[in-house]
Amino acid sequence: MGEVIVITSGKGGVGKTTTTANVGTGLAMLGKKVVLIDTDIGLRNLDVVLGLENRIVYNLVDVIEGNCRIKQALIKDKKLPSLFLLPSAQTRDKNAVTPEQMQKLTEELRNDFDFVILDCPAGIEQGFRNAVAGADRAIIVTTPEISAIRDADRIIGLLEAAEMKRTDLIVNRLRVDMVKRGEMMSISDVVDILAINLIGAVPDDENIVISTNNGEPLVGNDTLPGKAFMNICKRITGEEIEIMDFTSDKGFAAKLKKLFKRNN
Amino acid sequence: MTNNDVVIKSNKYAIAFEGKELSNDEQIELMEIITNNSQMQIVCLLEKDEKVETPFKNSLEKRLEELSYNTGQFYKGTLRSGQQLEIENSVIVIGDVNPGAKIISKGNIIILGALKGSAYAGAGGNSQSFVIALNMQPGQIKISDIIARAPDVKKPRKLLSDPKKVKIEPKIAFIEGNNIYIEPLDKSVLNDIKL
Repeated sequence: MGEVIVITSGKGGVGKTTTTANVGTGLAMLGKKVVLIDTDIGLRNLDVVLGLENRIVYNLVDVIEGNCRIKQALIKDKKLPSLFLLPSAQTRDKNAVTPEQMQKLTEELRNDFDFVILDCPAGIEQGFRNAVAGADRAIIVTTPEISAIRDADRIIGLLEAAEMKRTDLIVNRLRVDMVKRGEMMSISDVVDILAINLIGAVPDDENIVISTNNGEPLVGNDTLPGKAFMNICKRITGEEIEIMDFTSDKGFAAKLKKLFKRNN
Repeated sequence: MTNNDVVIKSNKYAIAFEGKELSNDEQIELMEIITNNSQMQIVCLLEKDEKVETPFKNSLEKRLEELSYNTGQFYKGTLRSGQQLEIENSVIVIGDVNPGAKIISKGNIIILGALKGSAYAGAGGNSQSFVIALNMQPGQIKISDIIARAPDVKKPRKLLSDPKKVKIEPKIAFIEGNNIYIEPLDKSVLNDIKL
């Protein structure tokens, strides 16, 4: 029996889809069988981030309405044979699906996969209710901005009311330089406010934009966010890894910088 | 009946008659019928007397109200944005009240955590009510019918939790005159608290 995880945030644009793509890809790299479901009906883009857009034939609404079998709608990843995507429909809206139907779908999928990961749309309406309905656990994505944290707080409250068994937090788009100057909230500030378990922090990095545009998740490569996402995946599977400390000057680049400073 | 102690054990009852005016004989007859035909034992007869009853009722209600201010209820957990807690008497929150959350109590509010949302104490109109929080950063505080809100911050909001810059200490909000004051919880303030 696989685990059903919903990735949600409340606010839009904080990196739910990027996180879903990277976490899904990372788990598949770790040898897990993973299916990603884009529940953002009408505004699909998980397929774009994964670079699978032109392979879509059937979508989520087709599966739910019985126009095709689940297997027909699943798209296999370009590189990883154990990663699949169930894309969203672009021509319909959130009301095309009910929470009960989503629950039934995730129950079916969890028999065949280790992880079923749902990419939740922004907001707290029908789309959110659909995505959350069948999930065992939730991962909240937020950025260190007051507006995103406020929305995340609201979402956590709604998930608690819906008796979600477990909620974890990812702090995304952290800018270490700004935190050092005291212009951005640090990870611990965010955790203090939201008071839930932190499962990872991802620094802001231009490589994310590049990887999104290329349709290739950067999880597992040598960049800071690539490592951060891989650590998150390992923590999801139950490994205990310390949260990376981006603020310390222990990295190779920092050492190099110090060296140059000394020479000057 | 001279016995004024109303002892209600398994089958002992006090009784009052309403409606038709009954003479003493009629009342005794009725009581006999009840005791003979049921398991009930009538211990005393309550008399309906408006003049005695109204002040008694009023003082009882007043006392009950005072009691409800003083007795509290616990709430464990963090109140999050959009959540609202309404409680008839005083409340002790073990957790934070986050921005956008609201807590309403007819009595006092004590928060063993941070108050960042809004708190409304003395919702029934009791201006003696107070709000205590270990970390007092309220968006809005209302006590009885007086509202205070956080001052607008002009300078850029620096890190909220930097312990060196902002001293976090338990504070109390209370009414004095027509204003709400927020002060550190020290002995002299504690002595002024009236329950």
